[in-house]
Formats: sequence, C-alpha cells, structure tokens
Amino acid sequence: MFSDGDEKLFQSLMEAAPDAIVIVDGHGKIVWANSQVHALFGYSSAQVLDQPVEKLIPERYTDKHKQHRSHYIDSPSVRPMGSAMGRELFGLRQDGTEFPIAISLSPLTTESGKLIFCDIRDMTLQREVEKSITELNQRLLTQNDELVVMNKELEAFSYSVSHDLRTPLRAIDGFSRVLEEELRETSNEACLGYLSRVRSAAQRMGCLIDDLLKLSRITRADMVINEVNLSLVARQLEHNLHQQSPERIAEFAIDSIKVRGDERLLTVALENLLNNAWKFTSKNRQTLIELGSVEQENETVYFVRDNGVGFDMNYADKLFGAFQRLHSDEAFSGTGIGLATVARVIHKHGGRIWAESAPNQGTSFYFTLGRQAV
Amino acid sequence: MKDRVILLVEDNPDDAELTKLALSRNNLRNEVVWAKDGVEALEYLFGTGSYAGRDVADIPVVVLLDLKMPRVDGLEVLKQLRADPRTAIVPVVVLTSSREEEDRMRGYSLGANSYVRKPVDFDEFVKSAGQLGMYWLLLNEAPKD
Repeated sequence: MFSDGDEKLFQSLMEAAPDAIVIVDGHGKIVWANSQVHALFGYSSAQVLDQPVEKLIPERYTDKHKQHRSHYIDSPSVRPMGSAMGRELFGLRQDGTEFPIAISLSPLTTESGKLIFCDIRDMTLQREVEKSITELNQRLLTQNDELVVMNKELEAFSYSVSHDLRTPLRAIDGFSRVLEEELRETSNEACLGYLSRVRSAAQRMGCLIDDLLKLSRITRADMVINEVNLSLVARQLEHNLHQQSPERIAEFAIDSIKVRGDERLLTVALENLLNNAWKFTSKNRQTLIELGSVEQENETVYFVRDNGVGFDMNYADKLFGAFQRLHSDEAFSGTGIGLATVARVIHKHGGRIWAESAPNQGTSFYFTLGRQAV
Repeated sequence: MKDRVILLVEDNPDDAELTKLALSRNNLRNEVVWAKDGVEALEYLFGTGSYAGRDVADIPVVVLLDLKMPRVDGLEVLKQLRADPRTAIVPVVVLTSSREEEDRMRGYSLGANSYVRKPVDFDEFVKSAGQLGMYWLLLNEAPKD
C-alpha cells in the first residue's frame, strides 16, 4: 500500500509506538498490525492479518461493533472510541481472556480505499490505579463522615461536661460556704479548716473543667486568617500583667512582629506563654521577658523567653500534654492546660512549638506558624 | 404595697436553694417563687394549671431562668413569654452553666435581658446575684397603682 521508502519509514514508526496498532479496511479486515499486537493480544501479526477486526473483541460486542464500524466508515473522524460515551472497552486475547483497552481511531484515505487506523492501549494498569484511587477516596469519605460524627459527639460531650459536672460542684462549694458561716460562731478551727479544703478542692475542679472546655473550644474553632500584630497583642498582655502585680520589677523586651493567623487564637496562645513566663519568674528579683523572632533555615521562628526558674529538659516531652505539670502546686499554681492550648493553636496554624530550658536558667519557647506566616 | 415576686425557674433543688441564699445575702427581700421547670413557670406566668386563677397582671419583677430543664426548657419558656403581650416586657435573666451556653443563647436573640453564669465559687455567685438584683430591682420599680 506504500512505496518502498515510505513503507520502511512507516514500519519503523509504527513499531516504535508503545501501543498496539492495527489498520483495518472498509470491510473490517485487518490489513496491517504492529508487533505490540502480540504483546497485548498474544497473536503474531501474521495471525491477525486478513482476519476481521472482531477477532480482537469479546463475542458479546461483535454485533454492535460491526454496526459502529460501518457507521464510522460512512462518517469518519479522528476520535477516541467508546470512551467518549463513557463505555468501557475490552480486548480479547488469544487465550480467551479479556482486558480493558482504550482505542483511538483515525480515518486514512489511500489509493486502495478508506482505511481505519486504530491505536489500542492496554488500560489494565490504569484501571487498577483508578480503582484503587476510587477505593481510597471512598475510604477517606467514610472516615471523614466518621470524624464528623465523632466531632459532634465530642461537642455534645463537652457541653454536658460543662453543665453536668459543674452543677454538683456548685452545691459542694455553696453549702460548704453556708456551713462555714454557721460554724464560724462555734469557732471550731479544725472543722472550718476541713470545710475550706472542701471548698478549694471544688473550686479547683471547677477551674480544671473550665480550662478543659477552653481547650476543646480552641480545637473546634474555625480559623479566620488575617494579619496579626503580635507585638501589639503582647503589649496589651504586658499591661494586664503589670496591673495584676504592680509590685513586681519586670521588663518586657518586645520586638515588632507581624504574622498572618487567627487573631483570637494567637492571642490565647500568646497570653498563655506570657502568663507562664510571668508565673515562672515570680520568684525573681528582676524579671525579663522577651518576644522576638529569628530567621532559621528559610523560616521565621518566634520565641518567648524568660529568666525564670526553668525546668529540666528531661521532662520536655511532657510539656505540651493536657494536665501535665512540671512543678508542684505549692511552688506554682496551675491546671496544666496552658501549654496544651498553646500547642493546639500553633498546630492549627500548621506550625511547630518546642522549648529550651534548664533549671534556674530561664525558658525559651520557640514556635513557627507554617505557611501563614509572612 | 406588696413587692413584686422574683420568679426563679430552676430544676435543680441545690441550685434553687443556693440562688435563694445568694439573693437573701444581698438583702433582696422580694418573695421568691420557685418553679421547678418550664411547665410550672408558664403555669405561673399565665395563671393556668396549678396556678389557675392567679392574677396574671401581677407580673414578676424579674425572671431568673435556667436553661436545661426537663419537660419545657428555658429557651421555650423565653419564646412563649416574649410572644405573649402580658409578659413580653418582663425582664429575664438567663442563668447559664457555661460560656458555650451563653453564646448559643445569644445566637437565638430571643430577648434575654442579661446572662449570669453560675460559677462554682459561691462567693462569686453571691456577688453577681447582688449586681443583677440591684440592677433589675432598681430599674423596675413596681408600677404605681
């Protein structure tokens, strides 16, 4: 069908193609096939030559295929076959097995009449990949649904914790208070002491519940990302701390820092970090608290540093867990929720947080803010 | 002239007793009518059921309303009370147990006049009861006969 030179070029081009290629005449007879046909279908080129192209198609499709084929000869165009209509196509191997294929059709007009150029690609691997992607997506969707349900349950749980656990505590504290007043006249010191313990225990449990609820609010909060002037927030917090204990000699060294993040959440985080610094420097004669930033390996690392009591780095892994405390309540009061809250805020921003410290050497908290940071 | 009553709607007897104690510690001498749930509160306000025949024109000086109650909850009481012209203007102080509850209530914008969060610390509760008492009692002098 070609001149000798043309034919050589044509042959080598067709053999170089990764797909099986067959050329079919107007009656559906295979007039040419490349060697990939063998790899895909198991037939040698010679075995398919002069055979109807339906030899390569599962029997259940052959009637339909003949109709489509004659229709194509009448109005040929370059197009993918079947898949355009969302149909899956299958090839039939010599051994009778089937496999998924994709076919592109191009009409060729030659001296010997109209021919159809068919490029056949084995889609087995792609179909498998598609199938596993679909399965993975389905699994993700299911897991996501489960998470949404779990989150709702948690929300309901924290609501009932707040309501139901605080109610008996109110009764314990309130009636102890009334008893305290009644007993004051009898001045039974021991009894009054016990009652005061009952009350402070109830109040402490109230604080724990409140802090736990705050933590769960942070976890569930939706983020609103804006530019946040951390220095301004820190100045305000500094002002509050000075007002709380005006007798303390304390210096705040606050660098100018602007970040992108959720202002409410970042304020909560900074408040906890500065309150912590303030608390653990309370036994200092002079307090120095710093807020600053450094550039490190292409990211900005922010820090809050104090010159307080510090802690043993052996316990550093406990630092950010809820209810974890590194100091006794007598030395420093607290519920152990503060740093867990800070860590959640930082993680929600896609950042990391860590600390460096040593006993009596002060503490530095470092954090990054992920991609939101400017 | 008799002082108007304070209507306390609270299902928990401990909280009810503590609220009464907190009010009396602030020298608020108004009679406290205790409704144990929303049904009782509505019966009192509209003179039905166990309060059939009560003069409903004699409205409370303030309603202290707990939210989570069996049968009819605080939200529903507030809705019905605001919908009825006889009680639409009664000051209502919602007693909440948590910030979440308060936020949620504000979201409904049903016209609660203020919110008091019931703290665990009784002294704090006495303090806020005193503040809310002063505010509502001074602001809501009994109507002249």
